[in-house]
Amino acid sequence: MLKDIPVLSLIALIPLAGAVLLLFLPGRRSTWPRGVALAFTAIPLILSAWLFAGYEPILGGKAFAEHFTWLSIPLNAEAWGPDAAVASYRLVFDYRLGIDGISLPLVLLTGVVSLMAAIASVHIRKRWKTYYALFLLLQTGMYGVFLARDLTLFFIFFELTLIPMFFLIGIWGYFGREKAANRFLLYNGLGSAFMLFAFLILIATLGFSAEAATAGGNAFSFTGDYEVLLAHLSDPNAPANIAQPGNAMYLSDSLKWTAFVLLLIAFGIKLPIFPFHTWMLKVHTEAPPSVVMIHSGILLKMGVYGLIRFGAFLLPEQLDAWAPVLATLGVINILYGAVLACAQKEFKLVLAYSSISHMGIVLLGIASLNEIGLQGAIYQAVSHGLISALLFLVVGTLYERTGTTKLDELGGLARSVPFTAGILLTAGLASLGLPGLSGFVGEFLAFLGLFGSMKALTAVGALGVLLAAVYVLRSVLGITFGPMPERFIGMKDARFVEALPMVALAAVILVLGVYPSLLTDLMQHGFDGLLKQLSTKAGG
Amino acid sequence: MATVFSPYAWLVPAFPFVAFAVLTAFGRSLSRTGAWLATAGTFLSLVLSLVIAIERMTGAAEDYRGGYEWLRIGDFSLPFGFEVTNLAALMLVVVTLVAFLVNLYSLGYMKGDDRISVFFAYVSLFTFSMLGLVLADNLLLLYIFWELVGVCSFLLVGFWYQKPEAKAAAKKAFIVTRIGDIGLLIAILLLFWYMPDHALDFVSLHNVFDPQNGGTISLGITTLIALLIFLGAAGKSGQFPLHVWLPDAMEGPTPISALIHAATMVAAGVFLVVRTFDVFEASQAAMDTVAIIGAFTAIFAATIGLAQNDIKRVLAYSTVSQLGYMMLALGVGSVPGAMFHLFTHAFFKALLFLGAGSVIHAVHTQDIREMGGLGRRMKITAWTFGIGALSLSGIPPLAGFWSKDAILAAALADRPWLFVVGAIAAFFTALYMSRLFFLVFFGKPRGEHGAQAKESPGVMTFPLLVLAALAVVAGFANTPWNGWLGQWLTGNAEADHASALAIVVSVAVGLLGFYIGWLVYVKGAVRRDVLSSRLPGVVRLLERKYYIDELYAWLFVRPLRALGDALTAFDTHVVDGAVRLVGAAANGIGKLNTRLQNGQLQTYGLAGLLALVVLVVAIAGRRFW
Repeated sequence: MLKDIPVLSLIALIPLAGAVLLLFLPGRRSTWPRGVALAFTAIPLILSAWLFAGYEPILGGKAFAEHFTWLSIPLNAEAWGPDAAVASYRLVFDYRLGIDGISLPLVLLTGVVSLMAAIASVHIRKRWKTYYALFLLLQTGMYGVFLARDLTLFFIFFELTLIPMFFLIGIWGYFGREKAANRFLLYNGLGSAFMLFAFLILIATLGFSAEAATAGGNAFSFTGDYEVLLAHLSDPNAPANIAQPGNAMYLSDSLKWTAFVLLLIAFGIKLPIFPFHTWMLKVHTEAPPSVVMIHSGILLKMGVYGLIRFGAFLLPEQLDAWAPVLATLGVINILYGAVLACAQKEFKLVLAYSSISHMGIVLLGIASLNEIGLQGAIYQAVSHGLISALLFLVVGTLYERTGTTKLDELGGLARSVPFTAGILLTAGLASLGLPGLSGFVGEFLAFLGLFGSMKALTAVGALGVLLAAVYVLRSVLGITFGPMPERFIGMKDARFVEALPMVALAAVILVLGVYPSLLTDLMQHGFDGLLKQLSTKAGG
Repeated sequence: MATVFSPYAWLVPAFPFVAFAVLTAFGRSLSRTGAWLATAGTFLSLVLSLVIAIERMTGAAEDYRGGYEWLRIGDFSLPFGFEVTNLAALMLVVVTLVAFLVNLYSLGYMKGDDRISVFFAYVSLFTFSMLGLVLADNLLLLYIFWELVGVCSFLLVGFWYQKPEAKAAAKKAFIVTRIGDIGLLIAILLLFWYMPDHALDFVSLHNVFDPQNGGTISLGITTLIALLIFLGAAGKSGQFPLHVWLPDAMEGPTPISALIHAATMVAAGVFLVVRTFDVFEASQAAMDTVAIIGAFTAIFAATIGLAQNDIKRVLAYSTVSQLGYMMLALGVGSVPGAMFHLFTHAFFKALLFLGAGSVIHAVHTQDIREMGGLGRRMKITAWTFGIGALSLSGIPPLAGFWSKDAILAAALADRPWLFVVGAIAAFFTALYMSRLFFLVFFGKPRGEHGAQAKESPGVMTFPLLVLAALAVVAGFANTPWNGWLGQWLTGNAEADHASALAIVVSVAVGLLGFYIGWLVYVKGAVRRDVLSSRLPGVVRLLERKYYIDELYAWLFVRPLRALGDALTAFDTHVVDGAVRLVGAAANGIGKLNTRLQNGQLQTYGLAGLLALVVLVVAIAGRRFW
């Protein structure tokens, strides 16, 4: 029964349907838009959970695939030489969705964080209808990114996330919101341009295939279908692998390198990798907390996902050769982010730099190129998504009450809002990698994986764990411990609607920390193809 | 005899965990009931631990293992398991016994606190984690509980979070021990990649590093692993140079100091080294390091203890010093010596801390200069504290004498100069303990509360009495003529280190130290300020703890802060500056182009001419390139 309905399409498009529905509803008060948004956010989560229950790792990417040809654009027809048959070319856009051990954890993350962010949007005070419509549109983009199995489709969904995000920052943000929104759009737009360029290279080479000859002559097609690209990659007879003079479809080493570096920059901006990180500082400080939950919790992970899905799987040799570079960038991210996080006076900036530091650990996991490290990278991505969502949830709750997020204006909140302070402490401990909470597992696996190949770099990176303790405790204790300023007397602790997502997120973080197999079992076999390719390359 | 109870060993940590869960969920509505619930949970653990220990003493010598798979990735599997050995059984008893007594004591000590249920929740979580650490059958699981006890310690040190000192101490405790934890983490990574089959369990460690199978892992890597493990142990057990957090941790409630920072958690470092002792034995360099750091810490902390005026800080430095003894024992190869001292120390040091808590409870100060004359008003506290002090000072036949003597004898047999260091440290130990004891309980009351001080309630004095009894008799578990404990723990008759010289010296320095203390602080035969007037520099150096904190501030804290500020400036001006520059450049070019398109034919002509000139020059110039 699960196989009979297009469950992936439903996950991706139900939020869009919700956004359309919202247009026809009254938006004078928050009730209707909020109710619709919650419902249409919850449904994809339920469907994802259903996927989770029915997923069999051994099937890999074939599970729940949905595929049909969407558009087929004739390009040109030509005849080479006097007696040659006519060759016709066309460009095919496929609508292909799929799921495997790498995307499913991220789909689940998207579902959980989106719902929590939707609940946390209770602090939004104006233009609810527009807000929730954009919020739902954003979700379609995010689900699409993780589900798409076609380069063009991926690109479209990727771009789809930018537009609602731009408005969500620019309209509902804090004082410098418009500048932050501009910076966000420009920077990410630039990244998308790099990505598009790399995708075109891949489509023009790996995506080229000969179809059955018809009466009219030979037919050739270009496609961005990910399965086709993967198949061509390991097929020695694919045009992309034949180094012949005059073969315009040959994916030469220099082309591969170009594509790889372009992808690294494109996803490096999203991740973000030092020195492309400054845009996200602005977003962290200026966007409303519920939007930052989405941004830090999910959008950054699109960078991780893209880097693995396209960088690693389609260009494994390049990744292999550049593993030390990637690991070095990871260590720089970890330490640079951590040292800067230690010096910030604004809590949101501490969290922003801590995100940079944590994404560095993801890079380490990718650079390890072994199963432990790669699973660690995904685990860390999911765990960081949950933890930073929780942290910004608390930030939103505290800001509502204190009107500030500056560290030197806060203090002693454990007395006035003990529950929220306790959650903040829990989230902080998860963030610094306390065993028993999810942060530790991702960190440990990434370090463990990389340690097999790059011992010294890993050891240096592990210093980040120490610095994490410094900046987390400094900021969290700064907010909750110490004597309470008088103006915080009589503050109310979190309301039910605020406490609910806090408890839910904390519970997920705890469960993933205590029982990591829940997630790693999904990822089993997820990297089989990549690892096989790497080992044959190394062996041959 | 079959093992009946060992398979249920997982229940020992389970009871406190349930108490923790219930207290966390319903704590606010339970308040005092919750406190009793936590105490009851620990009591059940204690009973089960005793049953297991007795079972193991009466024959069931086979170790029991059980567990399940925690994480599987590809071909690697990380199991979760527990292991009941004699060592584990001993630790279970020590931990649950002290935890139970501290729970009981806290019912009185924390009575008025409105967060009493939070306190008991944390204590239960700690007890659970500590017991898990003891039972863990592999290094990764041990590490997980290791971190958990660390975080409980952090939470409890910072329990009175409104005090800035408590906040600072909690932060410091966490961060300094984390330095050691990173060492342990890297050691685990190393072991994972070097061990056959990526095994991390202690049985495999034992087999691989057994000298008979020598050579599986090279000596260099072995030494590195051992030193990294020791770094972890040093962080937790307050060994120099990572000892700085432990004295500050005294900001926590006193029962916590007794439980976590004297009897159990700080001994976890020693336990870790014992658990991985095969790795250490495989490397002489590692053994030397452990012995020297241990001996140095023992004497170093003892000298600081001489000059402190906070009752808890004196005891804290004493703990650091005694942990140094345990490390010294391990460094000279005596596991029984270390475990024996861990065992007796847990009782007499917990006793001393709880006694100190009783005093603080009565006089509301921790400064020994404001106490005095409490002996007559607090008889039970005074007597039990006195027993603890004598035991710690190594006066026979109390427990501390036997265990310290075992260590000194082992040192004498291995490296005599370490014995000399240990003996001098023992002298200082007796001296600072007699100073503490006589200043607090003898003479006239000096503080404002001293005259009205009352003995603490029964719920607090009962644990004191139990611990005092143990501080007297626990030493007979392992006397020079009957090495029962050592045999039971290690399974083989340990080479007998008993030495008349060691006994004589150890008794002599203990008595001498106590006698001098009596002369100075009771009899007044020697003026108290004789040292501070003659050698003010030395006294000041000791009072300021050799300026280690200041040194670290200069070496680490300030540079990190400066680096952070410098990088912040770099990030906003250089990195972000470059981004802004790119933006500005694009903008500028756009504006320039706008200006060029001004509709004036002359401008276009000029631009065209200039372009032509550039082209011509470029084409012509290529010839000469």
